[in-house]
Amino acid sequence: MRPKSATLVQGTLDMLILKTLALEPLHGYGISLRIEQMSRGIFRVNPGSLFPAFRRLERAGLLTSEWRSTENNRRAKYYVLTDRGRKQLKTETSEWGKQIAAIARILEAT
Amino acid sequence: MPPFLKNLFAGLRSLLRKQGADREMEEELRSYIESAAEAKMRAGMTREAALRAARIEMGSAEAVKEEIRDAGWERAIESLWQDVRYGARMLRKSPGFTIVIILTLALGIGANCAIFSIVNWLILRPLPISQPKQMTFLAFARGGSTFDNQFSSSELLSIREQSKGVFSAVSGLAFGGSLGGYSGPDGLTVDGTTSPVTAVYVTGNFFSTLGIRPYLGRLLLPSETVDAGADPVVVLSYRYWQTRFRGDPSIVGKQAAINGHSVTIVGIGPRDFLGITPIIDMQAYLPLGMAPIAERIRPDLLGDPKARILCVLARVGSHTSMGQVQAAVAVIGERLAKQFPRPREETRLMARPLRPPGFLNGGDPLPVLSALFLTLAALVLLLAGVNVVNLLLVRASVRGREMAVRAALGAGRGRLVRQLLAESLLLAAGGGIGGFGFGLLAAQTLRSIPLYTDVPLAFDLPFDWRVFAYTFGVALVAGLLVGIVPALRATRSDPTQVLHEGGRGSTGSRERLRGVLVAAQICGALALLSTAGLFIRSLESMRHADLGFDPSHVLNLTVDPNQIGYTQAQGQAFFRTLLDRVRTMPGVVSASLVRNVPLGDDSFAAQITVPGYNPPPGQPFSSVQYNVVSPDYFRTMGMRLLRGRDFTDADNASVSSMAVINQAMAARFWPGGNPLGRTFALANNSARSFTIVGVVNNSRTDAIFGSFQPVFFQPLAQHYSPVMTLQIRSAVRPEAMAGSLVRLIEDLAPSMPVFGIRTMAETLESPNGLLVFELGAEIVASLGLLGLILAVVGVYGVVSYAASQRTREIGIRMAFGARPPEIFRMMYRRTGWVLVAGMCVGLALSSALARLSAGFLVGVKPLDPLTFVTVTAVMALVAMAACYVPARQAMRIDPMEALRHE
Repeated sequence: MRPKSATLVQGTLDMLILKTLALEPLHGYGISLRIEQMSRGIFRVNPGSLFPAFRRLERAGLLTSEWRSTENNRRAKYYVLTDRGRKQLKTETSEWGKQIAAIARILEAT
Repeated sequence: MPPFLKNLFAGLRSLLRKQGADREMEEELRSYIESAAEAKMRAGMTREAALRAARIEMGSAEAVKEEIRDAGWERAIESLWQDVRYGARMLRKSPGFTIVIILTLALGIGANCAIFSIVNWLILRPLPISQPKQMTFLAFARGGSTFDNQFSSSELLSIREQSKGVFSAVSGLAFGGSLGGYSGPDGLTVDGTTSPVTAVYVTGNFFSTLGIRPYLGRLLLPSETVDAGADPVVVLSYRYWQTRFRGDPSIVGKQAAINGHSVTIVGIGPRDFLGITPIIDMQAYLPLGMAPIAERIRPDLLGDPKARILCVLARVGSHTSMGQVQAAVAVIGERLAKQFPRPREETRLMARPLRPPGFLNGGDPLPVLSALFLTLAALVLLLAGVNVVNLLLVRASVRGREMAVRAALGAGRGRLVRQLLAESLLLAAGGGIGGFGFGLLAAQTLRSIPLYTDVPLAFDLPFDWRVFAYTFGVALVAGLLVGIVPALRATRSDPTQVLHEGGRGSTGSRERLRGVLVAAQICGALALLSTAGLFIRSLESMRHADLGFDPSHVLNLTVDPNQIGYTQAQGQAFFRTLLDRVRTMPGVVSASLVRNVPLGDDSFAAQITVPGYNPPPGQPFSSVQYNVVSPDYFRTMGMRLLRGRDFTDADNASVSSMAVINQAMAARFWPGGNPLGRTFALANNSARSFTIVGVVNNSRTDAIFGSFQPVFFQPLAQHYSPVMTLQIRSAVRPEAMAGSLVRLIEDLAPSMPVFGIRTMAETLESPNGLLVFELGAEIVASLGLLGLILAVVGVYGVVSYAASQRTREIGIRMAFGARPPEIFRMMYRRTGWVLVAGMCVGLALSSALARLSAGFLVGVKPLDPLTFVTVTAVMALVAMAACYVPARQAMRIDPMEALRHE
């Protein structure tokens, strides 16, 4: 059975996808795997939210896609971060940092 | 590519290549599962187990695909398309209902389409020239007409010089008919045949200023200018070329003659170009330098600063605002007035947009008339729409169960409303198409109305994109408006209640809504009918007004010796012979010649001074109308000589000038006295003095309404005019005389142009006669009739449906002892107050419309009591009759059957 995973904070999936793609182009499973690994198994993203997010980001011009062969010589659709996507990731990251800091301050307040 | 375009294209791709997009999605998901399975196999699972686990983790692939689809905008289009297809299926299932609704909407939309095509023709359509908004014409503001020949050639040059900063081009034009001593059409001779042509003389840069290209050959060149007779060329309008030469391309390059002076046809103007007005065709364009020759005016005409023959057109430079233009033009005007003295009332030079209503006089009626007609058309659509709303409501209550089932299965209210709106928009689209068809038909009918004029009026009501857009815009709005109320009602009810009760909900608010619908119909129909009544009464009052002459048995036929280059002596001789020969023809009771046929295309005015008469202060001269006639004119027209005598053949150039005046002129200048033997003189030429030899009764001259104007008549033998209309009073049908008259003229002068052959009765229906009033009355009456029919059908429909809904209630009442007459009264009482309310609002609306129509009514007051009482009575009777049938049916309900029903 699949271990229970933490639910993602609303609206952060897009940011995480952009982040995983910042290093190199990946296919769908690769992205979900990378998110799982980087979060040390805390976040597991199911395809039902992953693929619509790809479509959304692609339409917004933050990603492009192309069919390539995988390391195992199979065809897969690879997603590539665009320049706009890179910029978006930067702003989202700094925005997120501010929010986290703010939330932390609120929670730590006595 | 900007992201939104990318998004658009990606969406369109997946819409249009649905299967391809699906396959790609599927492949991507499969590759995902394979990858996941491989990872699991690396962890030690068998291939089958791994694949299974991966599939389970993903869940339903279809659901994932569905979610991916939801992420794109094209999803909304897809569900709209679903709604439309479902709607179309539902409509196909009840074809009768669908056809009735589409037809009803088509009638309402068609009325709007037709009216809008008229408004578009009159005032909306821009001229087919490059950047029409930049084109202006210049004129000094003064009372009355502003689009006038106010400038000489030297003034044009001065304006062009001074306005370089604001205008990119300035050109001038002169109307052929208004130039010389003779006013009238010009004659164009091609291959030995001469026909009238409306000629304009333009500066060489006229066409380049407008920015248009020829259809064939070439237009005039900037090098072709004002040197008298240097460039004997002519450009014909497309319309004239089509009408007269049936589009024969070999016409270009031909030698022709204008008023007998040789010119070469060098080109044909662009297809839709009529000149600088959108409704009157300017048929021939010649260089300004040809004007003195072709119009036989003194050769120094264009060098004379007092000869103000030109209208000035100017194109505003592309970076100049109208404010800058007006400021600059005002300064130019002041300088111009200093350099070339002008009449005192012409003070301020202004630039006006070159399109109606700009070139019409102040107090332009066209926008008001357009607003009135569009309002009436909108009322017709309102009536049609109310009928449709009622039908949709009936249907909604029938489909209550369907809606309840769908709601119970989880369809949100928004989804259901959208579904129903898609249906009504489909109906409206059908209505729009039908309406466009009805509109075309109506415009075709209007176009085929004979105009009885020699002015090349382009009454063609073009159906351009504006008409198209308006029609479908109206259809869209109508679809939404008629759809929204029934859709909201149909989806409002609680599904469990509907499913339990079998669709019999509370009826109170439905009753109220129906009341509003009936009242709206009564109100709209009343307003339409009362306006129609006013227009018809106005037309009738003009039809029965005293014309001052007897139009029956008179035939008109116009000849113009000027057009084939006859001199004055040749022309006078021709007219004398013509009258002598015609008077001996069998069937001719009386024959005469006249320059301006009453209610025809032209009328002349002159400024006069009268010895012993003191004009009101501020008006140094008195303006009166005049006409030129041969002896026997008054007899031919059936007018009465009240004093003195008619002209005779002896009243020719060898005796001193004389005139016959009408009663109005006698009353104005010699009230109570005997005008015979008195004199008056032309204001600009006091040497031309006229002795009055006779007084005739008042008659209609240039307009069919208003008070009779003072007129004097001069004998043709003393005042030559080449364009004369031969009028004969015949003992037989006047039309029958036309053939032999034309043959007679051919005998006398083989190439003489003969035109304007029509009876005097037909002339009464001309644009200066009743045409506009008839058209107006016909249009308003058609709208009124349409409105009445729609209202009757609608009221009947609403009331009878309401009655059928109450069958049960009536059954119970009867079972408890109510007698049929009481039921009948009850049914009437319910609708009675609705009718009264509708009538009251309708009367208020009617009087508002009547005020709007006031400017177009003659001989009837806007709040004409007879019209209003009659129309209200008719409306009340019709509404009562529409309620009678359902009420009587209700009265005959059998209580047992009503209760057993359901």
